[in-house]
Amino acid sequence: MSADSQNRRSANPPRAWLKQQTHGVERWYRGAVGCGLIAGAATLAQMGGLAWTVDRLVTYHASLEQTFGGVAVIVIAVMVRAIAQAGQERCGLECGLRVKQRVRRRVLETLAALGPVRLASRHSAGLASQVVDQVEALEGYYARFLPQMVVAALVPLIYLVAVLWLDWLAGIWLLIAAPVIPLFMALIGMGAQRLNEAQFQAVTRLSGHFLDRVRGITTLKLFGLGERSVTEVEAVAHDYRRRSLKTLRVAFLSSAVLEFFAAVSVAVVAIYIGFGLLGYINYGPAGSLNLFSGLFILLLAPEFFQPLRTLSQHYHDRASALGAAEGLQTLLAEGESLTPQEEAGLTLAGDEAVRLERVELRHAGRDRLLGPVTLSVKRGEVIALVGPSGSGKSSLLQLMAGFVAPDGGKLAVQRTPGVGWMDQRALIVQGTLAENLRLVAPEASDTQLQEALTQAGLARWLAASDRGLETPLGERGVGLSGGEGQRLALARLFLSSAPLLLLDEPTAALDAVTEREVIAGLQRLVAHGRTLIVATHHSEIMAMADRVYAIEGGTLHRVASQDLRDRVSHHDEEVC
Amino acid sequence: MPAKPQTSPSPADRLAALRPWIGVIGERRKRLVLGGVLMLATLVSALGLLSLSGWFITATAVTAAVAGYIDVFTPGSGIRFFAVSRTVTRYLERLYNHDTVLRLLADLRARVFGNLLRLDATTLSQSRASQWLNRLTADIDTLDSLYLRLLAPPIIALLGILGFGIFAGFFLPMVGWTLGLILLPLWCLATLGCARWGWHASYRRVDRQERLRVRAIEQVEGLPELLAYQAVDRHRRLWRDEEAALTQDQRTLGCRLAVSNAVVTLAVQITTLAVLLLGAVALRDGAISGPVMVMLALGTLAIGEGLGGLPMAFGQLGATVRAAERLNQQTPQTAEVESDDRRMPSGAAPSLGYHSVTVIRGTRVTLSELSLAVAPGERVGIIGPSGIGKSTLAQLAVGLVTPSAGRVALNGDDLAGLAPESLRARIGYLTQRSELFHDTLAANLRLGDPEASDEALASALERVALKTWASSLPEGMNTWVGEQGRQLSGGQARRVALARVILRNSPLVILDEPLSGLDTATSDAVKSALDEWLGERTVLALGHAREALPPCDRYLRLTTRADGCITLEAFD
Repeated sequence: MSADSQNRRSANPPRAWLKQQTHGVERWYRGAVGCGLIAGAATLAQMGGLAWTVDRLVTYHASLEQTFGGVAVIVIAVMVRAIAQAGQERCGLECGLRVKQRVRRRVLETLAALGPVRLASRHSAGLASQVVDQVEALEGYYARFLPQMVVAALVPLIYLVAVLWLDWLAGIWLLIAAPVIPLFMALIGMGAQRLNEAQFQAVTRLSGHFLDRVRGITTLKLFGLGERSVTEVEAVAHDYRRRSLKTLRVAFLSSAVLEFFAAVSVAVVAIYIGFGLLGYINYGPAGSLNLFSGLFILLLAPEFFQPLRTLSQHYHDRASALGAAEGLQTLLAEGESLTPQEEAGLTLAGDEAVRLERVELRHAGRDRLLGPVTLSVKRGEVIALVGPSGSGKSSLLQLMAGFVAPDGGKLAVQRTPGVGWMDQRALIVQGTLAENLRLVAPEASDTQLQEALTQAGLARWLAASDRGLETPLGERGVGLSGGEGQRLALARLFLSSAPLLLLDEPTAALDAVTEREVIAGLQRLVAHGRTLIVATHHSEIMAMADRVYAIEGGTLHRVASQDLRDRVSHHDEEVC
Repeated sequence: MPAKPQTSPSPADRLAALRPWIGVIGERRKRLVLGGVLMLATLVSALGLLSLSGWFITATAVTAAVAGYIDVFTPGSGIRFFAVSRTVTRYLERLYNHDTVLRLLADLRARVFGNLLRLDATTLSQSRASQWLNRLTADIDTLDSLYLRLLAPPIIALLGILGFGIFAGFFLPMVGWTLGLILLPLWCLATLGCARWGWHASYRRVDRQERLRVRAIEQVEGLPELLAYQAVDRHRRLWRDEEAALTQDQRTLGCRLAVSNAVVTLAVQITTLAVLLLGAVALRDGAISGPVMVMLALGTLAIGEGLGGLPMAFGQLGATVRAAERLNQQTPQTAEVESDDRRMPSGAAPSLGYHSVTVIRGTRVTLSELSLAVAPGERVGIIGPSGIGKSTLAQLAVGLVTPSAGRVALNGDDLAGLAPESLRARIGYLTQRSELFHDTLAANLRLGDPEASDEALASALERVALKTWASSLPEGMNTWVGEQGRQLSGGQARRVALARVILRNSPLVILDEPLSGLDTATSDAVKSALDEWLGERTVLALGHAREALPPCDRYLRLTTRADGCITLEAFD
């Protein structure tokens, strides 16, 4: 993957990607830049007014009344400057907020497009951090860095022209320092960016490590590894510190270089002006310096560097945005590179729900996982898939659900409006029980919800909880036991109107009583014409199936009903 | 967990949440003081550079006008000194202080994780995993602003204002008073005012950002169901609501900060002008010289720089306090972190007894007045439907849950009197959920016995019928199992967890649905291997049916009586 992403990076560097994202927010962007320029011009007027007033007062011993004009210019300029500064912040903010919102939307769409199979090897906390934190890291770039970059390029020019006009020699002093600065910053910035990327990886790993350890905290305690894992967590955190510090050292160095040049320039200009005023310098314009021009230049000298200093303060915004862009770009590109799943060329017969023709599935770097599989399922049929764990039952269901495209063969599946799905881990959304159910049937009435819960064997649970359908549920359904979580997933099946239901070990965690209730419910679903394809170990579901297939060596083998009856009776003996 | 600051205590009361963390920071006092000194040195350098330059230029102009003499070398070298010292102190200050903060953060992370370890199972189960994650990373990160942005800069700015005010007062008391009268209220506005103004938006932001993260995790983890049901858009609507609220808060906060920054800029510039005009009056009266007038005015500008960063920092105070509050919420009940017991469990099989145990979770009575005695070496199977409280029985035995009434005893000793670590060292417990870590297969197995040899791992895998599978993997024992073992099938993950308990080799074994997710053939194979391994150990096996358990000496059924109480009865 790394070589691949290298190629992509050279083809479309993160910087270009960041630039592209301004599309649609140009107005705010231009507003921010415009305000920055106005603030710069106002500062020029303010400093001019200040120098003029001081010159009047000190050199010409003018009275306060005689300097009224200068004071008025200062007051107006200061007000304009403050308002323009606020305007730049406001416009930049809007720019950042809008870009973030749009990128987030695209990332979410990409995640959905990639689907659960391609995402299985990724850490969900890492992905969540991409969606939330990495996108958040883009804000500063658009809100502050990008507008300031233009401002930092143009505003010093305005000051430079003013200084050159006042005293070209002083202007040259500033000019000497100026080109060195971007050069240094570029050099240092490149290093900072590399480091920042490394740091982002560290943050992602840190998130993954923490979530993993926190989830398994009970296990760690049970195995007496608490103290050791604290040390481990501390080590990872210190590793993060060291990485951060590396980034910071470089980032601070870039602003130190800038500050050094700024400070030295101010000092040189100050001394030059002082000596010029004293008449020690008889070269060029120095002789014609007076307090007004001297002070004006002195006041402008730090302002000349100020926009650049501000830019360097926002440099980490750029660095973190670039680091984030790297990851986001790779993710989005992965989504774009998906070839749309081709299921054309195969149509379902009127009474068919699923049709597979020599379908194959491979895992990257492994042998063929599944196939060739050929299967036709009629509407309303019940198919059971059996086989040892890891044999590919789940993969076949994922194929039919459309989470992954086959590597060979063709398939057609009845997928409107949606497919009912249930696996060993139910999705529990943060929200009420009702919200969790309405996810699959937004129009369902409370009565329908209760009916579905009853059919899933949750009626007693519902009666026992005092807030009923409004009971809040949490992540991974910790408020629910394992069996209750599964039954919630089952209730969703009852609630949805999907004609085809794909079930991956639906009764794995249910007790015998509930299991029987559930099977009765499933039978009702079949009676309503729904098609069921179930991966299962349970004989009772096998008994309910019209056909049973065993997956062995990646291919389907029909299990004869006689064998099945043997299995079932054997199982029943055990139960009794 | 919606934040309701409107109805809650005032921001001032909430600041108390920061107290413990200020205490933690205070442990590094020497570093903090040195960092503060560096900050002050930076401000003084900036002040010196600008005001000395202003003084110098004006003085030279005045001198030139009267054709007098002036020592240009002393102020000249002073200017050069300040120019260099400003750069150097600023660089050192930033590097040093950020190092301090990151050190604090690393300490805090470990401390918070240690606190989590001390919480009991019930408290842990109330909070969701991603919430803990956020506490560990984002909340602690938010606290970093405490020293670097909220404690040191306002103090330095205040010292700068006072110092320069007194300095100016020597030349012209009126200017000193003016500086104090304008800049001190401005300081209050930039700190307290901004804290208040940005409070709600930034306070809420912490929770909102977390909810957004939870939604993102839901979206990723629940993708199969969402996609199948074509419910992705419906879930995304939930997401968008959260995002819109977050964005709105960020917008409000950003606008207010922009206004605050503008006010600070305006006030500093106007103060500079006021100082200049006061100086002009004094100049006319001959109280001060022209150079001093310019020096005071430019010094005011430089001092104003110290106020510049305050609105931004204090606008985020709400977020910092919220983060501190959430970290405070999980303050441990017990004082000490359990020390690890690295001893491998050994000794004769103990007895396990439950005496009239009642467990209440929230408002629900999970178990009431339940009694059970397991003799040393005896195997007892508990059968019951899911959700009835089987897992609670197991959690009671390892001290993850404490009984609300009654007692649990190991070898006749009340568990309440036993150190949890010595207790757990004697018990091998297979939890209902197979908790696997994002690590290699070998590392996951070695949780059971850190010293286990490769052969020991292989033989444990053999017992759970995974040896062939493991050796067929290209990377063998070094295969990564994926997050929560997701690279494995449910049955494989279950058996890895079981192998881990086998490696634990403890005299008392608790198995909670040991065979869930296994097909019949595998289940039978594992069952008989388990039967052999369990041997003379004391065993408490929990399952939904008898065939889901290894052979036991006797079976009991956990049922709900007509009156709603949960009791054990003989299983026939």
